[in-house]
Amino acid sequence: MAGPPKTRRDNVAVDNSLCRRCQTNAPTITVRTEPLCSACFNKYVSTKIIKRMESFRVRHAEVGQERLLLLPLSLRACSIVLLHILSQHLRVQGEKSGRTGYRLHVLYVEDGKGEASEASKLYELIQHRYPEHTYSTRPLSDALALPGMQELLIQNQPAATIPLDLSTILTTLTSATSRTDLHHHLLRKLVLHSAQSHTCSAILWASSTTRLAERTLAETAKGRAFALPAQTRDGEAQLGTGTAFYYPMRDLLRKEVLSYTSLVSPDLEELILDERPRPAVSTRDTSIDELMRQYFSSVEREYPSIVANVVRTTGKLLVERVEEGWLEGRCELCDVGLRGRAPERSRLCFGCIRVLQTREAGG
Amino acid sequence: MPPHPCESCHTSRAQILRPSTGIRLCAPCFTLAFETETAATITSSSLFHPGERIAIGASGGKDSTVLASVLQTLNTRYSWGLELVLLSIDEGIAGYRDHSLEAVKRNAEVLGLPLKILGYEELYGWSMDAVVAQVGRKGNCTYCGVFRRQALDRGAAVLGVRHVVTGHNADDVAETVVMNLLRGDLARLGRGTSLVTGTGGTGGEGGFASVKRSKPLMWAYGKEIVMYAHHKRLDYFSTECIYSPEAFRGSARTLIKNLERIRPESILDVVRSGIDMARLVPGAGGEGGSGSQRVEAIPRDAEDDTGGGCSGGNGEDAGGEMARVEETLRLNERAEEEGTETEIRLPAKAVNGQRHDRDGLHTGPPAAALPATVNGQNHDRHTHTPDIAVVPIRTKQEKKSGRKTAGDKLLPRQRLGQCERCGYLSSQAVCKACMLLEGLNKARPRTGIEVRGAGG
Repeated sequence: MAGPPKTRRDNVAVDNSLCRRCQTNAPTITVRTEPLCSACFNKYVSTKIIKRMESFRVRHAEVGQERLLLLPLSLRACSIVLLHILSQHLRVQGEKSGRTGYRLHVLYVEDGKGEASEASKLYELIQHRYPEHTYSTRPLSDALALPGMQELLIQNQPAATIPLDLSTILTTLTSATSRTDLHHHLLRKLVLHSAQSHTCSAILWASSTTRLAERTLAETAKGRAFALPAQTRDGEAQLGTGTAFYYPMRDLLRKEVLSYTSLVSPDLEELILDERPRPAVSTRDTSIDELMRQYFSSVEREYPSIVANVVRTTGKLLVERVEEGWLEGRCELCDVGLRGRAPERSRLCFGCIRVLQTREAGG
Repeated sequence: MPPHPCESCHTSRAQILRPSTGIRLCAPCFTLAFETETAATITSSSLFHPGERIAIGASGGKDSTVLASVLQTLNTRYSWGLELVLLSIDEGIAGYRDHSLEAVKRNAEVLGLPLKILGYEELYGWSMDAVVAQVGRKGNCTYCGVFRRQALDRGAAVLGVRHVVTGHNADDVAETVVMNLLRGDLARLGRGTSLVTGTGGTGGEGGFASVKRSKPLMWAYGKEIVMYAHHKRLDYFSTECIYSPEAFRGSARTLIKNLERIRPESILDVVRSGIDMARLVPGAGGEGGSGSQRVEAIPRDAEDDTGGGCSGGNGEDAGGEMARVEETLRLNERAEEEGTETEIRLPAKAVNGQRHDRDGLHTGPPAAALPATVNGQNHDRHTHTPDIAVVPIRTKQEKKSGRKTAGDKLLPRQRLGQCERCGYLSSQAVCKACMLLEGLNKARPRTGIEVRGAGG
């Protein structure tokens, strides 16, 4: 037999008890109905990510002026895997051509959620394991010090005084949806700001297919679907900043990423922050994002390609163009075009107005 | 609920907490608000013109019953001078329509509106029971959906009416948006949120080639429709089709219901998002449905906006539909990865410029290249010539530079012509209904009832 069949046109009988790709090893995992051995699976995962790093190949980089890319680290599986694979990629680039196509700067944002001490332990472990990159941390509350944020948020807090702190704001928001939403936007703004202060030309988000699909539906449910193409398309520069967003993990399902963490060796599980157990059933107190997460984790099980298709579909939508330099035309929280989506002379879009509301009925 | 004054009239006790606004109202203020909002939808988009003849698609269910009642009320209140008529379709499913048809008849009397009932049997020569007896339960919903679309238009033609209104509400539209996202159906995503859709025929033609369809209740919550019907003591009968599967719409429906529990206004947000996304669909121009300007009728095809007691104009059975789409997508992905697709740049109109999503799923030889998903066509039914695949496999460079132009190529334009048998609007030479009928008639010896165009 002349090596593994390269295409289906070779009418070689496929042995289903062996890995579908190399036809040599025993399979350890089934990926979208294909049984694969660990080696082929690992290759599958890396390839999917590296394919998305086309613009950062060595040939596109000038010596000594490699672009610096920011990798926000959440200490959860997806960002750890991304860090791991990109570290590998850089090593390979270095071995092959003596230089690399880019450099990584890892940013850890402390969000005050969960175990701070455990998180900082893991963070140190990671720095130790991947010392070739530069690292920095920032607390999420720094986002409140960004220009305009205090004025924006004080509007709904009549009793409070500047400076507002994060926990006060979060507790006065009435719904889980609002809290999650605000958290997401503060994080995004902070990461963007950090990228600029470190002169990074792009941000590599670790969102998986599943996560992007969740976001698609969650933003749809919040009336912000128009913002999706601009915020989730690879290479799209954000808000005239010149910093682009990339999602190299967009072709991998979350469950595939999770499997990778245990099948790669040495395994990455010890680096990942344990998550609080998630509720199995949605209640009135669930956030929209959580609802979508539950929804897609079940769809992901049986219909993974449909999950991927949702992301692909949104990827085909055109990006809405707001006139260059017309910063007044953007919502101050979520950065989308205000025209037609906000009350007169408001600095927030309808969606964000609702997010920041602190009244009772209707959240 | 503790006694609260109505927040509108401040005199009566509030009996209702509106899901859409969270405001407490007494029953009369609520019904008035509901009616006024519907009127606003209608007037702000100049949906009707004075003296227009309108057929109300009446199923006997809550949505169409409320629609009929509200339109009647508004017509009188604002002297629109509309000629309203009720149009009801009998699919010929024993035990299903009987009760709801009775409800429609009662409504017609109470509202004093003329009523026309049209059956599949008399329109096509086949009742749904007969169809199911012939083809079984797989794909039967395709027949029903296609027939029903045409039935409403044909009925309109018989009545000499050019405008049909249906009771689709915000929940329905929201489900459609989610469903189309799940199916990756950009084309329908572009159309499903339109307030008005049309068959695209030019105004001068007669017959059912130029009937427009609108949904005045598009912004109304399903829950509020129930409340309205209750407080106005309207008589309706909701039915779930016995043959009805779940498939994508069922999944979408569950999601919407859960979403509503968390945050009721999300339903309208989904609709608004859908309208926004429609504008971002490449090449499909979604001009309609923003509700705040004159809306143009967007051409629709026979499979658009099904619903009303049934979930599947694209009929497959239940998990069957999702599984089939999953299968197709997966094969596409695999083919793309393995490079078994040849990259041949054909003009975007693909094989002969028509949307091939009418035919049943063709399974070619397993090694044949399947059109990649980037084509923007409906994936659960596609046809392909075994040798040619139109696959713009884009590298990163191409993606970055050619993004916009590549995007525009992705949706082949529908060319809308007329069915040669019956004259109905179709992008094929023979419309879907005629094709289905041909299949049915061939398989069973019957005096073929040839469906010719209504001829004006």
